[in-house]
Amino acid sequence: MLTAAKNQLRVCLLSMKYNMMREMVNKVTFLTNVCFMVLNNASILVQWIILFRLREDVGGYTFREILFLWGLTAASFGLSHILFARAFSLSDLIIRGKLDSYLVQPKNVLVSVLTSSTDISAIGDFLYGVALVCACRPGVGGFFLFLLFTVTGTAIFTAFALLLGSLSFWFVRMDILQGQMVMGAVSFATYPDGIFEGISRFLLYFIVPVGMAVWYPVHVIVSFHAGMFFAVLGYACALSVTAVAVFYRGLKRYASGNLMEARM
Amino acid sequence: MQAITVENLSKTFRVKRKEKGMRGSIKAILHPQTEEIRAVNGVSFSVDEGEMLAFIGPNGAGKSTTIKMLTGILYPDGGRVEVLGIDPMKKRKQLAYRIGTVFGQKEQLWTHLTPYDNFRFFGAIYDLSERETEERIAELSERFELNAFIDTPVRNLSLGQRIRCEIVASLIHKPKVLFLDEPTIGLDPVVKENVRELIKQMNREEHTTIFLTSHDVGDIEKLCRRIIIVNDGQIVLDDSVERLKSHYQDKMAADVYARSQESGMAEKYEEAPNISLEEILVDIYRSEEDG
Repeated sequence: MLTAAKNQLRVCLLSMKYNMMREMVNKVTFLTNVCFMVLNNASILVQWIILFRLREDVGGYTFREILFLWGLTAASFGLSHILFARAFSLSDLIIRGKLDSYLVQPKNVLVSVLTSSTDISAIGDFLYGVALVCACRPGVGGFFLFLLFTVTGTAIFTAFALLLGSLSFWFVRMDILQGQMVMGAVSFATYPDGIFEGISRFLLYFIVPVGMAVWYPVHVIVSFHAGMFFAVLGYACALSVTAVAVFYRGLKRYASGNLMEARM
Repeated sequence: MQAITVENLSKTFRVKRKEKGMRGSIKAILHPQTEEIRAVNGVSFSVDEGEMLAFIGPNGAGKSTTIKMLTGILYPDGGRVEVLGIDPMKKRKQLAYRIGTVFGQKEQLWTHLTPYDNFRFFGAIYDLSERETEERIAELSERFELNAFIDTPVRNLSLGQRIRCEIVASLIHKPKVLFLDEPTIGLDPVVKENVRELIKQMNREEHTTIFLTSHDVGDIEKLCRRIIIVNDGQIVLDDSVERLKSHYQDKMAADVYARSQESGMAEKYEEAPNISLEEILVDIYRSEEDG
């Protein structure tokens, strides 16, 4: 069991290394991708700076809390796209019958699929998120919580994408819905939860998992709350288990394909 | 000892049906219609260890679906499959350590990496140690003559070189059964011949069972002694290539003789001309089409 996990990890690390090597073939493109992602994220902060010159708080959030919100969203989104980028294009793999090469390998199919791609610009997102939170001086405890919630946020974003992507085993063109829902979740995550009420608030906590990925964690980092802390951990585990179960259930319906293709 | 046993294997796909044009598209949203297609329908056969079998048929006959069920890619709807005594559905990973697959239309190699780096990756996938991987790469590079381009990125290789690398990648873990799905597709005659020679050599030296699907008659004639023809998901012929040819030769001779008798020119009867395997296959496929 331990040897199998060690061997699986060896393959995952090699896969990530080769993904990085592919992206770094052109050093200029690699560096500009990372740098422009940092600049792109930073430019959006300007609107928040202007807004906080006009008001003291927005939706119950101070400017520092907004920075935590942005930092955690960018770091979670970045890490999920560095480690498990394929989860976000899973629909395409299923619809086009591209899982064959993973299914003939003596390794865990899901882990092999998820780690088979890396989004290099996400390194910029991740670094930006960490830098932003460090700039808020959260203290040792706060920084530890930030790291922990980056992991749970990564798990929630990845599991959400995996769950939606896996529905492609049953429904065609889920790739469009998957893309819109995931990007919608990330967009909503950069706004304070106080501005949402009623049904939209319910949806953003329980259907699109923004509340558990970002909002609750930010509340816990600012002022520790045990109930919220365990709710986030529990939700991350439950969503991950559900997504994995749906993927394997759907895999039995996998129809493969005969398209000419290359592993790029 | 049997390497592959298949009993009553079946697989059905549900396919959406849509009428022509925009009206058909709207109708399909409101009243979706599906049709069941039996890709594989009660197929049974077995393959001995070390045997080289050609599993052929016209497009859409169910060849690839069968190969995908044998390798654990697809779940069958019914029937029983055992490859090296292992059920691919229940122990997919365990089976994967003992089989190799080459899909001519699908590239398994990372195109930005060199063949050497790819082989090291495949070594890790099959849990080979660094030393085992290096030894196997050296041995296969020698045998498949890869040394001249083993450090060139795969995307810069010719198709023939790439296919040789694909085969080596699938052999890195010394599989007992090798599934080849159109391995020579798109290759020039010289490269095809080289690839066939290498497959034969591997079968001879490592006693690897070869399960081949191909539309190239040369692959079948030069590699396989036994042939299984499938059509509409069912086996229509399971015989040796030699017997199939001799049977058709006799049939053709009888036809020529009968025609010469009918026309009253028996004295002009000549021996029937040699019939190629390609002509035989075309005849079988056409007669199957005609029902």
